[in-house]
Amino acid sequence: MRELVVEFTKEQIAAYAQASGDSNPIHLDDEFARSVGLPGVIAHGMLQMGLLARVAGEPGRLRRLSCRFAGIVRPGDTVTFRGDEHDQTVQLTAVNQDGQPVVSRAIAELNSADDRAR
Amino acid sequence: MTGRVYPPVEFRIEASHVEAFARALGADPAGGVPPTYAAVYALGTTARQLFEDSEAAVDFARLLHREQEFEWERQPEMGEMVIAQGQVTSDVERRGVRFITFESNVSAGGVPVCRSRAVFVIGGAQ
Repeated sequence: MRELVVEFTKEQIAAYAQASGDSNPIHLDDEFARSVGLPGVIAHGMLQMGLLARVAGEPGRLRRLSCRFAGIVRPGDTVTFRGDEHDQTVQLTAVNQDGQPVVSRAIAELNSADDRAR
Repeated sequence: MTGRVYPPVEFRIEASHVEAFARALGADPAGGVPPTYAAVYALGTTARQLFEDSEAAVDFARLLHREQEFEWERQPEMGEMVIAQGQVTSDVERRGVRFITFESNVSAGGVPVCRSRAVFVIGGAQ
């Protein structure tokens, strides 16, 4: 079992927007986010997935990664990312401070350590 | 828009950009290309074409990323040039909410590197 606990901040979301090139204002501008029905800025799904990948396993072994973004993550939220590996399949979860899952159907498949050496 | 295929896009995996991306994830910037850098070289490169396609008329500000899947043959290497090509594999509207499935294939030297499948939902937050 691998685990990562992350408290999301506006700064981290803005840094991810800049680094990823996804500068949709729903991630950066509270007023704009509220104008489209959100409670304020939200973290990128791909930021959550990037953190899921960190608990999925060694980058070089990752063969497949998928998830559904099931709940929004806002600045101030603390999300616990967990990966549980069995037979090269990793069941992944991400749960916020209220116990609500923020992703569903999250799973990774890994290459065996032998494959990685090729 | 179902079936629309966009022209291939060339993208170089630049070390300085990869390191900034790794730092934004709290990962070790010296640890190589983070797997979800595919959000940049597979998805970002190609989804931009969809979002800028006036015929597709995607309301980007009301777009939420609902699902994502990546499948890798291998991780790309620093300095490598990859080619990404995107296509709309499904575009349906249900009760005023639009669902677009967008797939991207990334190759280098004609050999597959990564496949991306994204589901975007437009108008679901209101």
